[in-house]
Amino acid sequence: MLHEFSYLAPRERKDLLQLLKKHSGQARLLAGGTDLLCDIRLGTDKPAYLIDVKHIPEMQGITWSERDGLAIGATVTCIEIMRHPVIAKKFPLLAHAAGHIGSAQLRNRATIGGNLCTASPCADLGCSSLALGARVELASVRGTRVIPMKEFFTGVKATQLKDDEVVQRVLYPAEAAGAAWGMEKLKRIKGHDLAVVSVAIARTATWLRVGIGSCAPTPVVTADLPPQATAAAVVAAAFKVVNPIDDVRASRDFRLFMVEEFIRKLLPALA
Amino acid sequence: MNTKHTVAVTVNGKKYTREVVGHRTLLRFLREDLGLTGTKEGCGAGECGACTVILNGKTVNSCLVLAPEADGATIETVEGEAKNGKLSNLQEAFHRNHGVQCGFCTPGMLMSVKALLKEHPKPTVDQIKEAIEGNFCRCTGYQQIIESVLDATGQLKPKTEEMRRV
Ligand SMILES: Cc1cc2nc3c(=O)[nH]c(=O)nc-3n(C[C@H](O)[C@H](O)[C@H](O)COP(=O)(O)OP(=O)(O)OC[C@H]3O[C@@H](n4cnc5c(N)ncnc54)[C@H](O)[C@@H]3O)c2cc1C
Ligand code: FES
Ligand code: FES
Repeated sequence: MLHEFSYLAPRERKDLLQLLKKHSGQARLLAGGTDLLCDIRLGTDKPAYLIDVKHIPEMQGITWSERDGLAIGATVTCIEIMRHPVIAKKFPLLAHAAGHIGSAQLRNRATIGGNLCTASPCADLGCSSLALGARVELASVRGTRVIPMKEFFTGVKATQLKDDEVVQRVLYPAEAAGAAWGMEKLKRIKGHDLAVVSVAIARTATWLRVGIGSCAPTPVVTADLPPQATAAAVVAAAFKVVNPIDDVRASRDFRLFMVEEFIRKLLPALA
Repeated sequence: MNTKHTVAVTVNGKKYTREVVGHRTLLRFLREDLGLTGTKEGCGAGECGACTVILNGKTVNSCLVLAPEADGATIETVEGEAKNGKLSNLQEAFHRNHGVQCGFCTPGMLMSVKALLKEHPKPTVDQIKEAIEGNFCRCTGYQQIIESVLDATGQLKPKTEEMRRV
């Protein structure tokens, strides 16, 4: 059973932003609902209003241009990301990451905005997007701002989002298009599980980056490394940014071990 | 607060309109407001797939969709399978191959498979496994379900077929 709340479904961006300001603190944005409705059911979140963001045109769709790069609307679902021809061709890492979230039923609902805003340390679109140098476009009645995704995540399930702000789009630089890539996700079962450790690598002619999930309070990314960096150098850079915990799913030592294993496995095989 | 929402949907070809509160899930709407109790609630949290229905052509966990979100939608549920008391081809195959034991997972399982077959009329075993990744079955061990789907699509090898068709 869900507690009582009001469901609001604005059709225009200005109405959304105004509703959000008006109900500031008492409202949650509803995208795919695959995180939010679980929290509400568990009683860990008790908002009075749910504001559906799926009808806002500015938060929909996928666009690509050589000049501006790739822009993904916050309400775009995993299945849309997986099946988009430009993403499949130019950002295959992203298509792969979206394709390995939860189950088919979840991927049909789960959105990129929801994945990033839940800001779980294991967010699959977090570590992969970080490796690709993504930025996040935020909007509120006060205006729009764009920040590097690296700065967007601030702690376990915490982001820079202000009470009156929404994620509008997620932006990927054109120079990351066609990056060689590899991703491994350690799970207890195939399909349908959150990552115990995930490693996403992207490499272009000018840089190499590793995004890592479930090994720090947020998804993290290494500094830019030279594309020909040795495995030892990449592992060293990764160990600088991770700080895993011991928990029911895995120990700190095992997580560190797997980060190294995945890097050594992926690096020679980047496609 | 909590104004009512008018929700108009087409379920298995039939139109329904009801007034619901905002916090009604699609699952409860189907079961309690429309009386379509074929769809089951297992976990209520997106894990088990017992509540799977097809919403505008795509499978969803109906426990994680609000009824007002489905306003205007076309929905398919297990009740749309059998026609005039006759099981669908897919249901027959599940029956023949012991793809059903307690039956709790079956309504959701059938919807995931139905959606798969629309895209891949002759799915491979890997495609079947991927399609039912989000549908837990605590009885069959999945093998019989996979064989049911292979049988329904004319892909079950004769030898195995004999073994299963007892
Ligand atoms: C069984 C199961 C398995 C899962 N497996 C995985 C997995 O393998 N990998 C993974 O990464 N995740 C997984 N998840 C988590 C979840 O499905 C994803 O995080 C999903 O992408 C969330 O998106 P959503 O659209 O459903 O978000 P919602 O639940 O709608 O929203 C999540 C949060 O983000 C906020 N929000 C949503 N959109 C915006 C926006 N545009 N601006 C500001 N705030 C916003 C909401 O208010 C809420 O707080 C799983 C969940 C379940 C239940
Ligand atoms: S009841 Fe909906 S997924 Fe389990
Ligand atoms: S038949 Fe019992 S859960 Fe699948």
